[in-house]
Amino acid sequence: MGEPKQVTVTVDGKQVTVPEGTTVLQACEKAGSPVPFYCYHPGLSIAGNCRICLVEIASTPKPQIACYTPAAEGMVVSTTSDKALKARQDVLEFLLINHPLDCPVCDQAGECWLQDYYMQHGLYDPKFNETKIKKPKAIPIGPTVMLDAERCILCSRCVRFTDEITKTGEFGIFNRGDHSEIGLHPGKQLVNQYSGNVVDICPVGALTDRDFRFKCRVWYLGSTDSVCPGCSRGCNIQIHDNRERDWRPHIAGGERVMRLKPRYNPDVNQWWMCDEGRYGYKFIDHNRLAHVQLKKDGDVHEGTWDEALGRVSETLARMREAKQLDQAGVILSSHLTNEDLYVAKRVFGGLGVKQVVFQRPPSGTSDNLLIQADKSPNARGAQALGIAEGAGGLIEKALKKELRLLFVFTQDLVPLAGEEQVASIAKNLELLVFQGTNRNRTAELAHVVLPSSVYAEKDGTFTNFQGRIQRIRAALTPWGESKPDWQILCELAARLSLDVAFADAAGIFAELSQREAAFKGLTYHVIGAQGALLKQ
Amino acid sequence: MGTFDTLRQEADAIISHYEERRAAMLPVLRLVQERLGAITTEAEEWVAQFLQVAPSHVHEVVTFYSLYHQQPVGTCHIQLCRNIACALRGAEGCLAAVSERLGIGPGETTPDGRYTLSTVECLCACEMGPVAQVNDRYVGPLSPELIETLIRAPESLPAMPLRFRGAVGLAEPVLSKRFSFQDSEAIETYLRDDGYQSARRSLTELAPDQVIAEVTKSNLRGLGGAGFPTGKKWAFVLKDASKPHYLVVNADEGEPGTIKDRYIITKDPHRLIEGMIIAAYATGCRKAYIYIRGEYVEPTRILQQAIDDAYKYGFLGRRIFNTSVDLDVVVHRGAGAYICGEESALLESLEGKKGFPRLRPPYPAISGLFASPTVINNVETLSCVPTIIQKGGESFAKLGFGKSGGTRLFSVSGHVRKPGLYEASHGVTLRELIDAAGGVPEGRRLKAVIPGGISAKILRADEIDVRMDFDSLLAAGTMAGSAGVIVMDDTTCMLDALWYAAKFFAHESCGQCSPCREGTGWLFKIVDRIRKGEGRVQDLDSLLGIAGNMEGRTICVFADAAAWPVQSYIAKFREEFEFHIREGRCNVRSEDG
Repeated sequence: MGEPKQVTVTVDGKQVTVPEGTTVLQACEKAGSPVPFYCYHPGLSIAGNCRICLVEIASTPKPQIACYTPAAEGMVVSTTSDKALKARQDVLEFLLINHPLDCPVCDQAGECWLQDYYMQHGLYDPKFNETKIKKPKAIPIGPTVMLDAERCILCSRCVRFTDEITKTGEFGIFNRGDHSEIGLHPGKQLVNQYSGNVVDICPVGALTDRDFRFKCRVWYLGSTDSVCPGCSRGCNIQIHDNRERDWRPHIAGGERVMRLKPRYNPDVNQWWMCDEGRYGYKFIDHNRLAHVQLKKDGDVHEGTWDEALGRVSETLARMREAKQLDQAGVILSSHLTNEDLYVAKRVFGGLGVKQVVFQRPPSGTSDNLLIQADKSPNARGAQALGIAEGAGGLIEKALKKELRLLFVFTQDLVPLAGEEQVASIAKNLELLVFQGTNRNRTAELAHVVLPSSVYAEKDGTFTNFQGRIQRIRAALTPWGESKPDWQILCELAARLSLDVAFADAAGIFAELSQREAAFKGLTYHVIGAQGALLKQ
Repeated sequence: MGTFDTLRQEADAIISHYEERRAAMLPVLRLVQERLGAITTEAEEWVAQFLQVAPSHVHEVVTFYSLYHQQPVGTCHIQLCRNIACALRGAEGCLAAVSERLGIGPGETTPDGRYTLSTVECLCACEMGPVAQVNDRYVGPLSPELIETLIRAPESLPAMPLRFRGAVGLAEPVLSKRFSFQDSEAIETYLRDDGYQSARRSLTELAPDQVIAEVTKSNLRGLGGAGFPTGKKWAFVLKDASKPHYLVVNADEGEPGTIKDRYIITKDPHRLIEGMIIAAYATGCRKAYIYIRGEYVEPTRILQQAIDDAYKYGFLGRRIFNTSVDLDVVVHRGAGAYICGEESALLESLEGKKGFPRLRPPYPAISGLFASPTVINNVETLSCVPTIIQKGGESFAKLGFGKSGGTRLFSVSGHVRKPGLYEASHGVTLRELIDAAGGVPEGRRLKAVIPGGISAKILRADEIDVRMDFDSLLAAGTMAGSAGVIVMDDTTCMLDALWYAAKFFAHESCGQCSPCREGTGWLFKIVDRIRKGEGRVQDLDSLLGIAGNMEGRTICVFADAAAWPVQSYIAKFREEFEFHIREGRCNVRSEDG
């Protein structure tokens, strides 16, 4: 393959050089003169129907759509000539004549491309004085999406998405002329693994998210870049939280996370994410372990960090003294960050605990688009850190009363070993520690429960199935008394006089990348917004 | 699904004609409708499964084309044309009469399930106006007696004569030469009159390039309306033989005011088939599709018979004239959508989709039907080809005028005494044509003429000395289009005329591009409001503004075609529109009483 030929075009007086085959739209973007668009989506075929991206091209009498016109050598493009601006304004007026303009009650308000472009390119004196066409409104077209056909501008993005990406073909545009309307085959529902994406790509309020709808106005949302922890794909996401919750506690019953949105990453998820990941955020605000819990004589009571860590460290110290650490086991989790795992490795290694493994959650379904069978975000990271996989051996030992202490992170052992077994493990052990984010049966059976932060409450990195290390960032403060796993471990280390102390995740990664071969040379800066691959 | 399984065998037979399963969409849906009376949701699901497409895309097709219905219609389905040419000849009165007689309005079915009344856009039988399609037949001109017959005993309707009126200013007719022959559509008639000799000569004596050179010399231009030089179009076809080449015949006649292709197909179908053989040979096509409008039931039957006969005689099929040339021809019926006359929409439709015009490039010559190199020509264009080969390109060119070679068929309708089809040189003047058609009725004066189908800009009575060739009409600010001449006398209200045009374009916009989808409906709403006496002073400027904003901003030229009547009617008859707005009434119709 040779290098593609380069062409130079002039956009609004500025020259840009782009590879042959680039569209005028992309060239304009590169030249810093972005043109508006509705139907164009970089992940879908080009429809060229909305006509808002019209630009003027020298020596071409009619304005041309930037999304379809290839950039050619010597082409002179104007995105701001009177002709181009007028064309854009006219198209916008056409798009709005039958639009209901029900922005005050529209969930898209605030992130609507009709609103945005009207402010940027519209601002005309409206001439429409006729009756608008009525179309179906507030139609639930499936478990996730609500349709308002009146607001639809018929850009066909959703049709192309279900035709080209999911290949499920649910959407169609029915009738013709100004009675055209988006819809599903009569009696059918929008049910596929990626249905929520049509809400993301709908530029207007025609397709809204039933989960998010009317929960929170979008201008109250804060946004934090993160990575979906739902499977080993590690789709890049934004966590949208209600940042006004201190002043508006009534919104969504005080819940913090309002929704997740996919974030573009060409190497991981492109523009998309699956529904399981998208709607899988509820555990962040529900069923959380908020307090340290201690069990004494069968009774559970809330305790302090001091009490709990004291009890754990005392037991470990005693076992270290008695050279009984071969009777201690640690089950880490592939839900933990590289930073958490590294600190765990150092703490337990430094202590002399040899039986440290990580465990994945039970496998789920997978597909050819995004969804991976491994339903945890960081198994590859645990492997890269040289941690052995599989809790089976330790569970067996515990059942055979060959262990005194078991330290379990994040995951419920019940789906893995069964309820009765876990109950008898708890009975057999001198100390069962559960350090995790959410309530489960293992937490109920544990002697000590240490509440930890979920991914949305901490900084760190996950390594996806491709070996791509990607950053997560704290969107929220830790729930209740919970703390990031690495922080709990550092506090434990201090009590055991181990020299493992870090101020933040960045500090951990800085050391990790020096000591762990697979991470050599990497920094948070290098990882950036799109991730970096492990060293082979 | 048991009901549908009885259709499977026939549906399988349909599929065998096509390169892709989905392309059988339109005929399979027609089969379902014919057998089951309507296309239900369940039927759509069966078709979807059968053609291996999503049910939503079948539903798209069913709702896009006007010939498909989701509810059963009466045993006698009366579809009255309510487009401009029929309106000029009294369509509204007929509608009122039929409606009163049946006691139902448009879109309704009588309680006994016998009659369904619908109004439709142009049936392209303007010479028969006011015309109705009664089940498969065209009936017109409708008179009170005829209406009574079609309601009381539709089976005893008389045969409707074709109205070919002869040649105007020609030494001898060319395209219409055989129209007056006894059994003109029969292959034997054609063979007795040197039929298929041009095809034989082309295939056995000429190289493809020589054929193209001859056509180029002839100045033959696309007679569907665009006027693109045919020789050039053929020369553009990708020579690459790695993909099959297709010849597609555009017989989706739909431009209001135009009737010519129906005459050629009905009266001289072998001329078309011979033209196709020559065109296919010149461009390396071994497969041809004729896309014929769905309403043309009888013409389709005649055409299919002609094709079957041509196969029998060895003019189609394998090793034609003992050469290595093969050609198969499939007749593909449309389903009621004006836009499918636009070549790229036609290809989409032929592939089993909605008639959405395609983004270009690539042009069909490079990537057309099934993404293969494709030649698309109109019926009349191809029908000229045998004559070009027979008489030579130069002599054909001389029959025409300027850069428009040969003769063409002019459809004359509206306010003339002898509406019908006329053949003349491209150089004929509009006045000569109107005179040949007997002029406007006694006691009336000519007011305006649309020279090339409803899309063409209108001409005033003092502008009719223009020649009808492509370039002269372009210079006169309008276009030759499909040569559908619609004549209006002084009883015509220009607001009414515009109302019919605007209604047509609003009904037929495919809805793909926003300016056209929204603009056509908007234009109609304003014109309709003015017609109801609720005009506002700013309306004319709004109309012109909207029309201007639609022009040149869309994928195909439909939006432009919708804009032109608005611009030209208002420009040329502004005072009349202003009167309507000012007074809230019509000063033309009121004078008429």
